[in-house]
Amino acid sequence: MSMLELRNVSKVYGEGATEVDALRNIDLEVDRGSLVAIMGPSGSGKSTLLTIAGSLELPTTGDVMIDGSNVVGMSRNDKARLRRRTIGYVFQDFNLLAGLTAVENVSLPLELDGVPMKKARAQGMSALDELGLSHRAERFPDELSGGERQRVAIARAVVGERSLLLADEPSGALDSVNGEAVMRMILSACHRGVAALVVTHDAKLASWADRVVFLRDGKAVDETLSPPGPEELLDHDATNPPAS
Amino acid sequence: MTHHTDSVGQRPLDGGMPARRAVTRWAWRLLRREWRQQSLVLALITLAVAVTTVGVGVSTNTPLSPYVGFGNAQDMATFSNSSASTMATIASWHKRYGAVDVIDNETVTVPGSVDTFSLRAQNPYGPYGQPLLALVSGHLPTKTGEVAMTSGVASDFNLRVGSDWTVKGVTRKVVGIVENPKNLLDQFALVLPGQVTTPTSVTVLFDAPVGTPSKSLGPNVITPMSVAQGNLLNPETISIALVTMAMLLIALVAIAGFTVLAQRRLRSIGMLGALGATDEHIKLVVRANGVFVGLVGAVVGFVVGFAAWLAYRPHLEVSAHHVIGVFQLPWIVIVVAVALAVAAAYFAATRPARAMIRISTVSALAGHPAPPKKLHRSAVPGVVLVVVAFVLVGVAGARGGNGGGMAALVIGFVTLTVAVVLLSPFLLTVLDRFSRRAPLAIRMAMRDLARYRARSGAALGAISVGVLIAVVVIIATAARFGNALDYAGPNLSSTQLIIYTPNGPYGPGGPGNSSKGGGVPTTSLAPMAQSARAIAAALGSHVVIKLETTSATLQHAASGRSFSGPLYVATPQLLRAFGIGKSAVGPTTEILSMRPGFAGLSKMQIVYGNYYSGQGSGPGRSESWPCPTSDCLANPSMQEISSLPAGTSAPNTVITEYAVKRLGLTPITSGWLVKTSKPLSAGQLTGARSTAAAAGLSIESKSSIPTSATIIDWATFVGILLALGVLAMTIGLIRSETADDLRILVASGASSGTRRSLTAATAGALAFVGAVVGTAAAYVAMIGFSRTNALDGISSLASVPVANLLLILVVMPLVAAMVGWLAAWREPKGLSGRLIQ
Amino acid sequence: MSVRHSLLALLSEGPKYGFQLRQEFEASTGDVWPLNVGQVYTTLDRLERDGLAESDDIDADERQRNFRITQNGVEELARWLRMPPDLTQPPRDELVIKILVASRLPDVDVYDVIQVHRRYLVQLMQQWTRLKEDEVRFDLAFALAVDAELFRLDAVVRWLDAADGRLRRSRQESTTDITEEVTRIRRRTGAHR
Repeated sequence: MSMLELRNVSKVYGEGATEVDALRNIDLEVDRGSLVAIMGPSGSGKSTLLTIAGSLELPTTGDVMIDGSNVVGMSRNDKARLRRRTIGYVFQDFNLLAGLTAVENVSLPLELDGVPMKKARAQGMSALDELGLSHRAERFPDELSGGERQRVAIARAVVGERSLLLADEPSGALDSVNGEAVMRMILSACHRGVAALVVTHDAKLASWADRVVFLRDGKAVDETLSPPGPEELLDHDATNPPAS
Repeated sequence: MTHHTDSVGQRPLDGGMPARRAVTRWAWRLLRREWRQQSLVLALITLAVAVTTVGVGVSTNTPLSPYVGFGNAQDMATFSNSSASTMATIASWHKRYGAVDVIDNETVTVPGSVDTFSLRAQNPYGPYGQPLLALVSGHLPTKTGEVAMTSGVASDFNLRVGSDWTVKGVTRKVVGIVENPKNLLDQFALVLPGQVTTPTSVTVLFDAPVGTPSKSLGPNVITPMSVAQGNLLNPETISIALVTMAMLLIALVAIAGFTVLAQRRLRSIGMLGALGATDEHIKLVVRANGVFVGLVGAVVGFVVGFAAWLAYRPHLEVSAHHVIGVFQLPWIVIVVAVALAVAAAYFAATRPARAMIRISTVSALAGHPAPPKKLHRSAVPGVVLVVVAFVLVGVAGARGGNGGGMAALVIGFVTLTVAVVLLSPFLLTVLDRFSRRAPLAIRMAMRDLARYRARSGAALGAISVGVLIAVVVIIATAARFGNALDYAGPNLSSTQLIIYTPNGPYGPGGPGNSSKGGGVPTTSLAPMAQSARAIAAALGSHVVIKLETTSATLQHAASGRSFSGPLYVATPQLLRAFGIGKSAVGPTTEILSMRPGFAGLSKMQIVYGNYYSGQGSGPGRSESWPCPTSDCLANPSMQEISSLPAGTSAPNTVITEYAVKRLGLTPITSGWLVKTSKPLSAGQLTGARSTAAAAGLSIESKSSIPTSATIIDWATFVGILLALGVLAMTIGLIRSETADDLRILVASGASSGTRRSLTAATAGALAFVGAVVGTAAAYVAMIGFSRTNALDGISSLASVPVANLLLILVVMPLVAAMVGWLAAWREPKGLSGRLIQ
Repeated sequence: MSVRHSLLALLSEGPKYGFQLRQEFEASTGDVWPLNVGQVYTTLDRLERDGLAESDDIDADERQRNFRITQNGVEELARWLRMPPDLTQPPRDELVIKILVASRLPDVDVYDVIQVHRRYLVQLMQQWTRLKEDEVRFDLAFALAVDAELFRLDAVVRWLDAADGRLRRSRQESTTDITEEVTRIRRRTGAHR
């Protein structure tokens, strides 16, 4: 069963003359354990797709199924609960709440969901530990580097039993080495069974995905085929040396 | 499904306590990080609570408590002797109500002095009287031959612990020094019960069961309840009313402050929503912040106030003449003030809290401020409320601010405040419309103010209310102090002293003088004059002006205020002392006064002799105008002379010798006015007072009543300060919200001058509109009140304190604009702040 | 030529045999560029001919000849390392030519052509990225080589994105009023006179 499923989703902003079609008839499925990337130029509707997939916005038409239940028609509180328990977000540049330490940031969604403070904190610590950040747990966001902040954000997005990770240009503000570390983390979360959806305009980032969907003017125009294994790249024919 | 449905299923759907705790913890951390942005609200709450703590402590502890004599008892009876019937009554109470405490007092005069003290027989360990007795040194009398006394009595008789003392033919050994902690002026010598044989008063303390009507106990008995009756307007009630008003204003300021803050935290709050916080959680963040601000302000305020109280308490004990406990504070009032502070902050946070959840999570995350809310553009509700307030204040005016009028006055002012807050957004729209042709920076500033009415309106409301209060104080003070008839102000200057004979300033039969007949006999006056000159000499002064009064006084034969103050005779010596030559006074002038506008008063009459007894009516009767010629002179000829002294007790208004002769009046010596070259010290005054008392005279010196100028200037100062404080807090926000516009503006080549003008125009416009609205509202209130008020008619508003109003209306907006101009040199925080976390 | 200079670089570490040189070359480029034996010895012969390297015994079997770098070779290596690669001449890129042609043909949807290439490139990048996932093989040299390939492919994808945007804008402009265009051209030519 797919973790996230968009069925014929359209989104229209504005009315009348100022009407803008942000998304048109999008169908998309993200299975558990898979990493799907949405690629497209700015203004193609990538971020709208992500906010709709994360229940922050409602589609104008169509259905959004998260873990089998339809977001359309849910009450505000039910959606909030869905975000607390199932969905983790990672944004480009602003992720952590100032005033809370790294571990407090990570355990916040658990606490919001009613997990007692000590237990939530323990889970937060182990999430940070997995990402090699336990030594920074007591730091405040403004004492962390950009890469560390992003990694803490990922720890928060997968803490507890969350199973849908949504990321909007998660390494956009980072250098390529830090960006790679972030993508590696998302991928390892997928290997543990999390479904991840990453939107980006960066092909290097998108190439980490199992499947890349190309978005253009609010429409899904194409997607990658299941690529052959990397072994093929190294199985060179000796008569065909790479350009030197 | 990887969910452990067990554990998830057990969790409350809204996150329950852990969620609320987490959210509250975050709010507290944010307050700790960003308390500077809330320092104005914090400071106001701190100040209000601190002032309340000290003020209420001083005001309730200063007067001798009416319950002083009761000790621990609920009932107190006083008899003038210890006759058999008295003893029988006491015995019956003893039988019915159990323990009674009997205190016998015999008044004894200190030989060679007018001072007296009590020889007191009291059980030092009596159940009720104990609080009235405290040991200072030595020990309490335990045998018949022992006595303890207050230090005052000891020094009068030059005694020490261990001395022998004979009084009323009995010699006793002095064993201790005692005092009455409830009344340090109480001078007594304490002996064991039964030692006072001929008491001049017998006090009985006992507890009748609750609900026993005091009348059934006999005419001698009083209870604290009966003392408290008719004393509803006690310091506690007044304090609570004042604190409530102050907190209302603080709440207004806080609304603006919290809106600013919530706006600053927009992205964080969006993030919280994205993490799955419910609307309730988000509201809780903003509200918890409010409660924390209230709590911190209240606690700090209380600590500061209590510290000040501790520092001031010893001084207060000296001036209040009774021992005041460290914790002897009206705790209920303080608790109410703290609760009000928290409540005010909480309710102030409620509105921004609701506004926050209206913003979608997506636009909050992006840091986009809420689209300008369509606020009621209509001025109708505001105008209606202004009219309601006008009527209510009028009702209060008609009742003279007493009884039901007090409630009407308070409700009227609250209504007016609400009206001002409702009208503020509308005025911003008007301002925008007016500035369509103004230069770019001003036009932009006005447009932004109008667009973001929700917060600029709250700021404007707070400024307006601050100005409103200040201007009401200014106008009321000017009106009251400007009244030529019922003259108000300080009584004397610090270099003046009046020594009164027992005749007093109004002569025998006048107010405050119950002695009947012809007053002090002439034979006694000569030694009194001698003493007065001696007092003056001791103060280093030779200017002793004799003050004479007659049976004449002035009357205003119309409704409203009546003439107040003494009417001394303008003797040549008096005129000379104030540099008034004979030629300065018209030959047929009857009244001279320094009170501005006095000479222009109509319907004035001099009444004298047997006017009152003949008419049988009180002063101020208007139906008898013009008054019958017997013992009354209508329309006396009056002249203004500004060189007469200004004090209310000084000869500011005098009757000429011409009039005295014409009306056949007899001058009586009231006392002597002493002028000194240097301000009198407290020590000098104490010395003068004791000398005067010995000679049967009394003295009056400068009291602490402030001058009108002092009150008005302080009101102006505080009003301006408050308005500027509110501005400082909100301007930064309003500008940082429009930081994006500003960045575009700068990028498209606007100079720093444009940025400065923008901030200056915003600050100046808010200050100006606030000042105008506040002043207008204050005049609405004052006109509404005076219109119906019998005492101060609408004409009382004629004396306009122009300079102070100009300060508020012109100088304050200019200062605001100037500070805005100067402070705008740095980039608004929003520009860079948004890029960092 | 990079094979030539890479071998020189390996020799600068010390004298080496031919087969050894081939192994080390492949290892140092992370097995990304395989090299056949013939290519190694042809290159070594040329190095010897140009006096940049020398061997003990010219007549011995190639496999047992021990090569070492000469002073000239050291200087040549130093010069080559600092010499900027020749980037002034644009390579005759097949992809660029295809897109240029597609944009001129009225019956062909150029965006579709672009997308086909983009998809292909991204798939290729996915393959390269997958190599990084396998961390056992992930040593430094390998990472540098894979990065180089990814950045190269990324640049092509970006060029496709840019071409996409540019083509779209030019199509929009071509539909604008022709008179406007004419006046603009007139004005421009007028300025030249």
